[in-house]
Amino acid sequence: MANAFVAAFEILSFGAIIVLIVLGLGIIASMMGIFNFAQGEFVLLGAYITYLAYAKGLPIWAGMVAAPFVVGALGFVLEALIIRRFYAAPIVAMLGTYALGLIIREAVRGLIGGFYLTVPEPIGGSIDIGAMHISAWRFTIIVITLLVMGLCYLLLSRTSFGLRVRATLENPSLARASGISTPLIYGATFAFGAALAGLAGALIVPVFSLFADLGLRFLIQGFVAVMVGGVGSFIGPVAGAGVIGTLSAALPWVMAPVVADVLVFVLAIVFIKFRPQGLIAGKGV
Amino acid sequence: MLKRMSVVRGAIVADADDEADGAMAEGTAAEQANGRVKAGRKILPIVEGVVLVAALLAPLVLQDYLTVFATRVVILALFALSFDLVWGYAGIMSFGQALFFGSAGYGVALLARDLDITNIFLVLPAGMLIGLTFALLLGGFLLLGRHPSSVIFVSLGTLTGSYAADRLARGWYYLGGQNGIPSIAPMSLGSYEFSEGPAFYYLVLGILVVVYLLCRFLVRSQFGLALAGLRENEQRIAFFGYKAQHLKAIIFTIGGAVAGLAGSLYAFHEGFVWPNMVGVVVSTQVVLYVLFGGSGTLIGAVIGAVIVEGVSFWLSDNYRDIWPIILGLLLLLVILFRPLGLISFVLGERERVGSFGAKVKEKRDAP
Repeated sequence: MANAFVAAFEILSFGAIIVLIVLGLGIIASMMGIFNFAQGEFVLLGAYITYLAYAKGLPIWAGMVAAPFVVGALGFVLEALIIRRFYAAPIVAMLGTYALGLIIREAVRGLIGGFYLTVPEPIGGSIDIGAMHISAWRFTIIVITLLVMGLCYLLLSRTSFGLRVRATLENPSLARASGISTPLIYGATFAFGAALAGLAGALIVPVFSLFADLGLRFLIQGFVAVMVGGVGSFIGPVAGAGVIGTLSAALPWVMAPVVADVLVFVLAIVFIKFRPQGLIAGKGV
Repeated sequence: MLKRMSVVRGAIVADADDEADGAMAEGTAAEQANGRVKAGRKILPIVEGVVLVAALLAPLVLQDYLTVFATRVVILALFALSFDLVWGYAGIMSFGQALFFGSAGYGVALLARDLDITNIFLVLPAGMLIGLTFALLLGGFLLLGRHPSSVIFVSLGTLTGSYAADRLARGWYYLGGQNGIPSIAPMSLGSYEFSEGPAFYYLVLGILVVVYLLCRFLVRSQFGLALAGLRENEQRIAFFGYKAQHLKAIIFTIGGAVAGLAGSLYAFHEGFVWPNMVGVVVSTQVVLYVLFGGSGTLIGAVIGAVIVEGVSFWLSDNYRDIWPIILGLLLLLVILFRPLGLISFVLGERERVGSFGAKVKEKRDAP
């Protein structure tokens, strides 16, 4: 019983991490139709900023708060300078963002060297429920993920900014004709997606420690999750991330980890092949 | 069939002409442009010739350790050729080309380790066959089907395949896990063993030249014409009655075979294989070569591999840390401002598209 509970918690917390990472990727993919290869590096950057705050003696939570803003601002600048040119050509966008990611990754690698740097958890210890102990920080990640998901949903479905974003997604030329500044919306959305990645990086760095290939590890999982969930909606990538995150965390409990790893990808690709529109088809929130 | 081809040719030439339209506004300008194009037609063979001569002379002027390095570069150029065939000619973004490269490398390494087979006439075809089989399976699955697959799906599918293979190789004890398979016996021909050095270099160069010529013949054939049409406008080609998906699957499989050949040579040259060889890192590396050099020209892929590897070898002594950053910046600049790669500095668009089939005789005195 206790074991099953711990397993369920592990699965849930890993699923939450994947959801957090995929959220930004999914928003950018749905809005702009481009798959951002630099998203993993935005995660890395968020993690690095948190580490930097810790290394400079600032409180860790300060770094975690700063990370999404800094990464978001960088995303906004990059969108205006570079990404904007790629909207018409999704493949070129992949290559361009890959080049961007390469630059960021190698720059961070140069800064931290080839080390694995650890950042302590801002909320340490464990929560005891009866005889079971669960990590307090992982629990916090789950809570924050739920909060962020809820806020994103409200932002997109209830605010006037969200309305504009959805209008731009639905029909860009009509949105432009209605007086919505679509370039600004695109820029803001990209920055928002980047900020979410930065937040994800900041939150997971105590769990995974900081190394240059941190982002790469999640990038492909993120892509697969977005495709499984379905591009074009808010809820699609979240659902996909839930499925992929749960599967990748749950399967190693019942079979050899190597086989599980590969099986998740094979299942996902087969699924996408036969249902290209993903779990949840259609546009909207 | 022939008539269909000429329609396609018309369509492609029309596409190429669109870009030259400005220059052809007046009659005289048209003649000038014509002359320029004719002069331009000769550049590609010159570039190819220069590269070939440079490659032939390289071992004579290079020190031994540089010859070993040059051999590696030539093998990687062969690998780049396979990607160029797939991306530059058929417009299939294969982010998992290393899957075929690496699996062939692993395959021949296992042949050498477990069965003591190192004969060149057995291992190289075996490597090609492995690459071909994997490409046929993966390409068949990703590309064929009732609905045409989106280009995003194919690129992410190949990327995922490569990543999954990487994970599998890392975790599978039989394949050596993280360490790969070390100290593979050298490739042999009778009692002669190919070790690093000029002999291996010329062997690899010979293979590269043969494969290059075959590829060149392929892409300049009627099949290549259909492929070029596919790259320029897939829908139009489908409307002409071609089975676009089949064409793609065929070229993807051929690309896999070439990658497999390169992979088996690489395994024997380095003497070991390791999980990175099937993984995302090498997959993206080959994309870099071709983008740098210029996709869709064959020679651009070769030049790209030589430049990227050469410069990184040269810089890695002093600027090891910042070289990847420079590479990323350069790549970004090339994508933004020179989407056709470095080769486009000397090669015109018309020559890149090329001429196809038998020469059409000009009828000057026709009414």
